Amino acid sequence: MSKRSVVLLVAVVMAGMFSPRLNAQDEKWNNIPPTRAAYRDKKPSGPAPRRDMSGIWDAVQTLGTSGATEYPALLPGRRGAEGGREDETGVERPLPYTPAGLEALKKNKPSGPGVRQVDSVLTNDPAGHCDPLGFPYMFLWELRTLNVVQTPKQVIILQPFYGNYRVIWTDGRQAPKDPDPRYNGYSVGKWMDDFTFVVETTGLLPKTWLDHAGRPHSDQLVVEETYHRVAGDTIEYTMKITDPKMYTQPWLALNKLPLHLMPADFDIPELQCSPSEFAEYNNQVASPVLRDPSKK
Amino acid sequence: MAKTFATVALIGALAFSAPLFAHHGAASFDTEKMTTVTGTVTEYVWTNPHVLVKVDVKNANGTVQPWVLEAWNPVTQTGRGWTKNTFKPGDEVSLEINAAKNGQPVGEIRGKIVINGNEFKQRQ
Repeated sequence: MSKRSVVLLVAVVMAGMFSPRLNAQDEKWNNIPPTRAAYRDKKPSGPAPRRDMSGIWDAVQTLGTSGATEYPALLPGRRGAEGGREDETGVERPLPYTPAGLEALKKNKPSGPGVRQVDSVLTNDPAGHCDPLGFPYMFLWELRTLNVVQTPKQVIILQPFYGNYRVIWTDGRQAPKDPDPRYNGYSVGKWMDDFTFVVETTGLLPKTWLDHAGRPHSDQLVVEETYHRVAGDTIEYTMKITDPKMYTQPWLALNKLPLHLMPADFDIPELQCSPSEFAEYNNQVASPVLRDPSKK
Repeated sequence: MAKTFATVALIGALAFSAPLFAHHGAASFDTEKMTTVTGTVTEYVWTNPHVLVKVDVKNANGTVQPWVLEAWNPVTQTGRGWTKNTFKPGDEVSLEINAAKNGQPVGEIRGKIVINGNEFKQRQ
């Protein structure tokens, strides 16, 4: 093979890496973003526009299938994903649970891979019943691709998973003092400088989970997100969890996670959860594969 | 030359490697063992939370054992090159799977896929 052929072959492969995967049926619809490997050696683009995070951003699929990325519910060496444990003793990076937090953790039976995984049919995971996940669970598990719309008073985040959307107010209002809890809570955002947008969310429903590993939260939860636009095509996304009832100190669930800008005509495929389809799945797959039927 | 091909193959493998995704973990399936299921497709279900391929397997004694085999969701499967038309009832298939630990005829599609004699090479 000549040098020119090798260069051409590598160029074709690289071009494939950086192009959104397109549905062969129609290239304009249901676009699939590149995988993580596509960004491994990619140089950042030019400077970012000031105070602007509008666009279609991709987090490269599967976040937090074992819990918040910075604190996976796994033993050292990424072992223990098959579950079977009551708590998280022995995980590589333990969370600072309060006694109440540890008690609440044990009540949540996650079906996602991790040290506390249970069979799908035994789970009380909202994701295992097609219940609304709420924030921040949906950002710690199914972040995938976001369509961010910015208006003079709002930043709106459209998330195709569950057909979800969040509204972040930027009109200077304060968080409600006595909120009626909501799945997505109440979000207010502020530009700290031209490239750093910080969002604080409160008033989140205590019955929701933080992540796919069943980490609990209370009505005291405050989620602080930092969207740092480090380049035209990249946001570094950080999420801080503060909940003194459940955790003795704040912790970072995500730390500078890169969000990648997609082409402006990128069509995000939908990923809905249909309760009837889910029930049918549980009937045909989850129930039959239960490891110990006596537990049903 | 061999080195060149190895490098290109590595780049290709990295480009098309996608992390696994499912709303559940794999605790109920034997991930240590690959089993081949060969039979006739009876139904192809292209929905959430998991795409299903239902296959009738003819046993040696002439009886038919229906299997339910799951993949991931349609979005993830689209990234791997699947479409709503990848399988159709009547297709003769051979699928490498991780079977349920409890012996039920249920499994996760994890390996080689052959449809009507042709290998379907999905992007990983």
